Amino acid sequence: MSLTIRARNLKRYYGSNRAVDGIDLEVPSGRIVGLIGPNGAGKTTALKAILGLTGFDGELEVLGQKPNKDRDELMEDVCFIADVAVLPRWARVWQVIELTERLHPRFSRERCMHYLKNTKVKPNTKVKALSKGMVVQLHLALVMAIDAKLLVLDEPTLGLDILFRKRFYSNLLNEYFDEDRTILITTHQVEEVEHILTDLLFIKDGKLVLNATMDAVHERYREVMVKPDHVEEARAMNPIHERILFGRHIFLFDGGDIGRLKEIGELHRPSVADLFVALMGEEYENHADTEEAA
Amino acid sequence: MNSRAIQTLWTLMRRELWESPGAFKWTPIVILGLTLFFIVFGMILGSRFDNEMAFTLDAIRQFADVPADQKRLFVTGALFSVSTLFFQILILVLLFYLSSCLYDERKDRSILFWKSLPVSDTMTVASKVLTACLLAPALYLAAVIVTQVVVLLIASVYGLMAGINPLTEFWLPASLPKLWLVMALGLIIQGLWLLPIYAWLVFCSSWAPRVPILVAVAVPAVIALLQHAWSLLSSFSMPQLNVGMIILKRLGSGILPSNVGWQVESNGNNVDLSDVQFSEELFMSFSNSLEFLLRPGMWIGIGIALALLAGSIWFRRRATDT
Repeated sequence: MSLTIRARNLKRYYGSNRAVDGIDLEVPSGRIVGLIGPNGAGKTTALKAILGLTGFDGELEVLGQKPNKDRDELMEDVCFIADVAVLPRWARVWQVIELTERLHPRFSRERCMHYLKNTKVKPNTKVKALSKGMVVQLHLALVMAIDAKLLVLDEPTLGLDILFRKRFYSNLLNEYFDEDRTILITTHQVEEVEHILTDLLFIKDGKLVLNATMDAVHERYREVMVKPDHVEEARAMNPIHERILFGRHIFLFDGGDIGRLKEIGELHRPSVADLFVALMGEEYENHADTEEAA
Repeated sequence: MNSRAIQTLWTLMRRELWESPGAFKWTPIVILGLTLFFIVFGMILGSRFDNEMAFTLDAIRQFADVPADQKRLFVTGALFSVSTLFFQILILVLLFYLSSCLYDERKDRSILFWKSLPVSDTMTVASKVLTACLLAPALYLAAVIVTQVVVLLIASVYGLMAGINPLTEFWLPASLPKLWLVMALGLIIQGLWLLPIYAWLVFCSSWAPRVPILVAVAVPAVIALLQHAWSLLSSFSMPQLNVGMIILKRLGSGILPSNVGWQVESNGNNVDLSDVQFSEELFMSFSNSLEFLLRPGMWIGIGIALALLAGSIWFRRRATDT
């Protein structure tokens, strides 16, 4: 199995701010990886390093190439949507398509037109006259028409309505993804991507706090809705998080004895969002306290 | 350079035209329209004072009698003067175009899209410089050629009315192929001559946090002022080499028809025009343009330009939307 991304001790400091602080990462091909983290955790910096848009320390190889040196060659096999609304606003739709066709050897105009067929994006419209959703549709059509090995999506659906977001991910999954490709996604709308992810990365303060496949995550973390008379017992079992919903106590366990957990309550798969809060939230609360104290 | 690199470069240059149609398409068309409008307007006005155009037609008949070399001087000189407005505005357009060429993509964040394509930063910077040095001059030259042909056609109508042969009296003395080649060569050499200034603008646009043209003007202006202040304070004299003057002189001597054969050295006191021979050789000469290639200043300038462009590529490589 070939590695799409391989990072060893990847670092990027901006002065004293450690945006990325020693990340080790191996992403094989055929995965859909979610890079999840709070604002300012270093997600975008890490992606920029992978895309050759920023310098870094440590080792980093993407598809066997050094992104900071060979960005232009790397971009034959890597596509990214680095946020919505970066298509040139002065251009007309047909100009953007023509430029991509002439500048990208792996672009297929037919595929692009196929994706655009069912949208309201018309060739002669200027990009600045398109709605935000239509710009993303156009950008996604361009990117999906490129036969790339790695697709990087940084907040691809920011500011779009729910209908569009659903269609975006189903297109991505049904029409684009296969075992030769890798997709790396960052987003705040965790609920929407968690069903398509194969791997989960949590990043905080420039460090990876979780790096596992979704299967391993489901294996390892368990959420238990505990019966009221078992709350103390559950607390004694070292839960990593406790929250109260409609008067019921919900505990999250890292590992633990399945048999005992079943006895004290209902066992669930934790959602990525709950796991995120459990692994990141608490320290942030503490952090906020110390900041107030200071 | 392989064929793919050439195709990429050409595509990037077409992109520049698409991005700035006002600068490269509409401006020459508007100048063309205005030039022809004023010529036609002038003729209509002239015919009002000139009863049945007797005076005009008489002048044309007299023109047919002048010696051949003077005829050439007159026709090519007239056609050259039609071109000056185009090329002066071209320089102005290029100054603004180049000073924003690597800045706008950072400002509107489309740099993230361009960088997602397999195009190197060197190629991107090269496409901007080549657009300024070759493509834009070629488009303006095309507009000039159209204007000149129309002017000659108008003159031919008058010539026919005056009963002279326009082909031998106007078209042949115009020696159009040579005229156009001289202008084309002049434009290419001018591109090289002004390259350090162009490169400076590209360099500023590659890193300036805002209003790059202001930065591009302010930096040399401040240096020139400091130089002045320093030499006045230290030796009560004007500086020998002043950055501001060097740049202004280069801009001034670059404007076409720069290949007019008299280079007036304006060192302030002795302007000598006595040995200037007024003949078509003043502007209809390749050697006047090629002479620029022999100047050390040309090659020093190109050296400075290459260093500045290398700096621009360095900044483009590191630039993102933030």
